[in-house]
Amino acid sequence: MKIFQVALGILAAIGGFVDIGDLVFNVSAGATFGYQLLWVVVIGVVGIVVYSEMCGRVAAVSGKAVFDAVRERVGFKAGLAALVSSQVVNLMTLTAEIGGVAICLQLLSGLPYRWLIVIAGVALLVVVWVTAFEWIERIFGYGGLCLLVFAVAAVKLHPAWGSVGHGFVPHMSTQSPLLYAYFAVGLLGAAMTPYEVYFYSSGGVEERWGPKDLKLNKVNAMIGYGLGGFLSFALMITGGALFLEKGIQPEFLGTITLGAEVPLGQIGLLLALVGILFAVSGAAIDTLFSGAYNLAQFLGWEWGRYRHPRGAPRFTVTWAVLLVLALGLVMTGVDPVQLTEYAVIFSAVALPLTYVPIFLVANDRTYMREYTNGRLANVLGLLYLVVIVIIALTAIPLMILTNVGQN
Amino acid sequence: MTRALAVLGLLVLVLSSCNGGTVDNHALKRDAEKVSSLASEGGLLANDVSKGRSTKSFVRIHAQEMARAASDLQDALGKRPTSLGITADVRKLSRLAGKVSRELERLQLHPTSRTVARSLEQPLEGDVAAADKLAK
Repeated sequence: MKIFQVALGILAAIGGFVDIGDLVFNVSAGATFGYQLLWVVVIGVVGIVVYSEMCGRVAAVSGKAVFDAVRERVGFKAGLAALVSSQVVNLMTLTAEIGGVAICLQLLSGLPYRWLIVIAGVALLVVVWVTAFEWIERIFGYGGLCLLVFAVAAVKLHPAWGSVGHGFVPHMSTQSPLLYAYFAVGLLGAAMTPYEVYFYSSGGVEERWGPKDLKLNKVNAMIGYGLGGFLSFALMITGGALFLEKGIQPEFLGTITLGAEVPLGQIGLLLALVGILFAVSGAAIDTLFSGAYNLAQFLGWEWGRYRHPRGAPRFTVTWAVLLVLALGLVMTGVDPVQLTEYAVIFSAVALPLTYVPIFLVANDRTYMREYTNGRLANVLGLLYLVVIVIIALTAIPLMILTNVGQN
Repeated sequence: MTRALAVLGLLVLVLSSCNGGTVDNHALKRDAEKVSSLASEGGLLANDVSKGRSTKSFVRIHAQEMARAASDLQDALGKRPTSLGITADVRKLSRLAGKVSRELERLQLHPTSRTVARSLEQPLEGDVAAADKLAK
């Protein structure tokens, strides 16, 4: 029974791995550079595994979520900067995700986009309000598994497997090194997006993880995120095998689903649309709660999705306000795909403010007792801190120099 | 600190979204590649429609999005000033974008017609070749 539950959790984690940032950057990277950037996805996935495990362990042992650690370890001013940047990025991501939900619904139903934004907002509100949280994770996680259609599509498109294999070895054969670097930064930013660890660690605290759950935390992080990365490979291979050859620049969500329609027909299209709908809706809910968690943890409010809204009123008001703000922004007609690119790049800038405090707390014996980082976690953690700082410093210059990946 | 971050964010958004102004060789190449991309994607979609491999809603909405993007390019390329010596190519690309937009609109208006879709495949292929020529 326990194994069955773990398996269900892993399946939900795989289906919930991909969000709109992964969809946009993986397919665009494939369409621009073929399979050359597959190795970057591996680095990104290992990074999120390392830090998810770390912040899950911190949550289980110390009962502290990420923003508790941020507030306690980096001081008020730096903490406030982390809070503001994370909230801005969260709002941008949430807006893009809700726009993505509305586009998927439109491609499925043909109804007007603005009506569907309202429908998407109301549906998210109802789901969050009435559904038990473990069911939200499962419903959207299992629905997101429809994205495995891209793995089938990737195979059916008959990519040059030798080139695919070569893509896992770091190399660069392009006349546009800046664009290559921009996509590398975007892929890492999308894979290691901060809201995932905010959500993961807060979830651990809410589910009252303790030291007995450390093994489950490790399995969830390694297998769930690790296999989730498999979907990212499939998306990039689809982009490389279909769009690069045809000279197509994926600028619409519809283009991404065409990657499943061309090799698999209507069934491929419908599975891709349903998979994206569930994955993006699930990510919207994660982002929504992350924003509320961050603010509540930073200001020391009562928080928790398991509480009755009256038990944590400011937490409830925060996520409701975030939802309304995001809906208002989508209504302005902002392009969700373009907004996603900005959100991922800005989130890359905020990465050190999220990951440095986690690393510090995970090494602090007063919090962690005998469960501090081992040698492997420290070596990998430090390596990734270097990577994260490089990404943070280069993300915006690369975005400007490449005109948001256009040149 | 917070104010500095906000100003930086605004500056970045402004700088990175600046693509108006004069059309130079670089912009011509980039826009020609965009027109080629839209035509090529339209061709893929038309091919799927001609084989009954897509859905009505998807074709209608996606073709409409692409048609709008092509029409925006037509307007921009028809009005913007150009660098010396490339005006004719820029206006030619504008007309080509308009043609692609109209072809995609036909797909949007007849999302289940295999005959219409089949009749659009070759013209869209021709548009890809014409745009690629202008991109060189």
